[in-house]
Amino acid sequence: MIKQYYFRFLLIAAIIGLCIYQVYPPEKKIRRGLDLQGGVHVVLEVTETAQDEKTISDLADRALEVIRNRIDALGVTEPVIQKEGMKRIIVDLPGVQDPDKAIEIIGQTALLEFKLVSDDPDLLKSALEGNVPPGYQLVYYKEKDERGIYREAHPLLVKAEPELTGKYIEDAYMGYDSSGFPDVNLVFNREGAAIFEAVTAKNINKQLAIVLDGVVRSAPVIRERIPGGKAQITGKFSVEEARTLAIVLRAGALPAKMEMIYKEVVGPTLGRENIVQGFRAALYGGIIVLTFMLIYYTTFGLLADFALALNILILLGVMATLRGVLTLPGIAGIALTCGMAVDANIIIFERIREELRTGKSPKAGIDSGYKRAWTAIIDSNITTLIVGLILFFLGEGPVKGFGLTLSIGIVANLFTAVFVTKTIVDWVMLTRKIEKVRI
Amino acid sequence: MELIKNPKFDFIGKRKIVYIFSCVIIIWGMVILAMRGRDIFGVDFVGGDMLNIELKERVTVSEIRDKIKGINIGAYSVQALGTEGKDFIIKSGPNTSEKIIEALTSIYGTEGEAFSVKGKSSISPSMSVSLRKKAFYAFLLGLIGILIYITFRFEFRFAVGATLAIFHDMLFVVAVLALTKKQIDASVIAALLTIAGYSVNDTVIIFDRIRENIRKTRSDDYFTLFNNSINETLSRTILTVLTTLFVVVLLFLIGGETLHTFAFSLLVGFIIGTYSSVFIASSIIIDWHRWKPHKFKV
Repeated sequence: MIKQYYFRFLLIAAIIGLCIYQVYPPEKKIRRGLDLQGGVHVVLEVTETAQDEKTISDLADRALEVIRNRIDALGVTEPVIQKEGMKRIIVDLPGVQDPDKAIEIIGQTALLEFKLVSDDPDLLKSALEGNVPPGYQLVYYKEKDERGIYREAHPLLVKAEPELTGKYIEDAYMGYDSSGFPDVNLVFNREGAAIFEAVTAKNINKQLAIVLDGVVRSAPVIRERIPGGKAQITGKFSVEEARTLAIVLRAGALPAKMEMIYKEVVGPTLGRENIVQGFRAALYGGIIVLTFMLIYYTTFGLLADFALALNILILLGVMATLRGVLTLPGIAGIALTCGMAVDANIIIFERIREELRTGKSPKAGIDSGYKRAWTAIIDSNITTLIVGLILFFLGEGPVKGFGLTLSIGIVANLFTAVFVTKTIVDWVMLTRKIEKVRI
Repeated sequence: MELIKNPKFDFIGKRKIVYIFSCVIIIWGMVILAMRGRDIFGVDFVGGDMLNIELKERVTVSEIRDKIKGINIGAYSVQALGTEGKDFIIKSGPNTSEKIIEALTSIYGTEGEAFSVKGKSSISPSMSVSLRKKAFYAFLLGLIGILIYITFRFEFRFAVGATLAIFHDMLFVVAVLALTKKQIDASVIAALLTIAGYSVNDTVIIFDRIRENIRKTRSDDYFTLFNNSINETLSRTILTVLTTLFVVVLLFLIGGETLHTFAFSLLVGFIIGTYSSVFIASSIIIDWHRWKPHKFKV
């Protein structure tokens, strides 16, 4: 008889040990959501409509790779980049230092094109009146003056078909132009270098427009044939701008038009406030519950308190093991688990009181209390679990985190509130002669 | 210690009053909801921008509102967070928050010095449509899941009673949110579903006792049997919700602004959930039985 309990205690001790090992130190082991450490959450959607679903889905896959490369260049510690459905991409960047820059880097299409400028002023004039000649298009040149302010955009008529695109770029990095402004240096791959050399050789003294996402960034005049596959984009950039542009050009253009349909930025201050306030509320709430149980059920209350503490420990242990994300509603979920964890014990203890009132012996009363309470506990926990899982699978961000802690808490609850407390009670009943139970 | 000893309340006998009370609150709330329209929903459900700013100096909501009026960005709303008069939420149409930040900069001074943007979000109409859809499916799945589980564990009429009681709780909470001018966003949906999952707990505990009593007594005086079962389980119904309420009240009081509406919804929902478990879920089964008698085989 006793042996069976040794095994049970060993199991409980092993679980406690394992959970502590998994959780400690919590600030390193538990991943925190955006709302607890600040960061960026965006959802992008492919807006190309005239294509079939398969193509759209492929475009989204390719876009995801491009975005991943861009974010890798940013150096965010645990980014989450995933596809949702056919045409959406979710990007989570917890703890990112400069959220606005991150959003720019993710969202920029970065379609770089080199287009020849028409040198016929009459053609440009008629294009401005609305008659764009076939094979040409109007683009606007936004140039910055010395102080870095955009001057009024002026129009250029360029060939619609680009001579060269960003696809042929092997590397891009920030440098400085002759007047000391940051610029972006491009290195073409071998194929690109050959095309660039041929284009420059054929069009000496013509203007070549460097068009990024439909806007002309610079339009230098070709002076001579350029071998070696190197080019610069100047445009009086700030250091930040040049760096950002180099990152997106290196990672390549997004393969499709994309719209940022959801954008959320949480500042680090708000994140800190959330974590402090959330934890304080959960902690005080937990303490009140513990105290209440102790006062209301005395010895048995102590047992329920132990089960509650164990429940929280297991919850955190599982979170750490699954690499689950703790969010602010997730902390609320843990707090709720405190409130609900003792419910199972209340149901059991009330039932035991009832059984004892019918004149049963302590052992029989406790046994039938546990046994009869079991159906109510399992039914009520499963209905809550149904909801917890739905929130986890259908919810996003903070809500998902809530569903996660709630679900784990409920499953852990069945173990701690029933198995663990029963083991301890049985063992005490077995090893000591107990004539009367006060509950 | 024991709070309630041998209660003998006639819960089911009071059901008409309860039905009327619930209907009045729910209808009143729904009317207010319809009158307030889009305004009551967070940007995640209607699309648009949301800015959370903190100013160095105290200002009033109406001051900020007046200052923004000049920049012509369409409909917007300003809401104060907390009581310090420095923390505000500004909701506005899609892609307008940059303009608001510019306007605030020209009035109060540079961002980062005179005021800081603690958080912002921007949700396109197409995203808000899919968030709404998701919320709807979550509700549907939740209710169906509970309906099926209780049918499986008890019987169909019990499942309907429990599900209607949950539905009542959700409507009641939404009504209270409308009446107290709170905002309905994704966190409220999470709260409503949690309320559903939790409120059904108390109901299930009562049903569990009804099931046991039907087996034990073989009585078909359901009115008395249901009432007795509710009374027998009353102390645990109240105790379980009480321990959970301790926590929810603290979340509401000191959990911070981000959790405010979430915790408030839970607070109202858990109380109403207990009320509906005791007064409504079983009463529906009794009324159904009076309308079309049925012998419960549990």
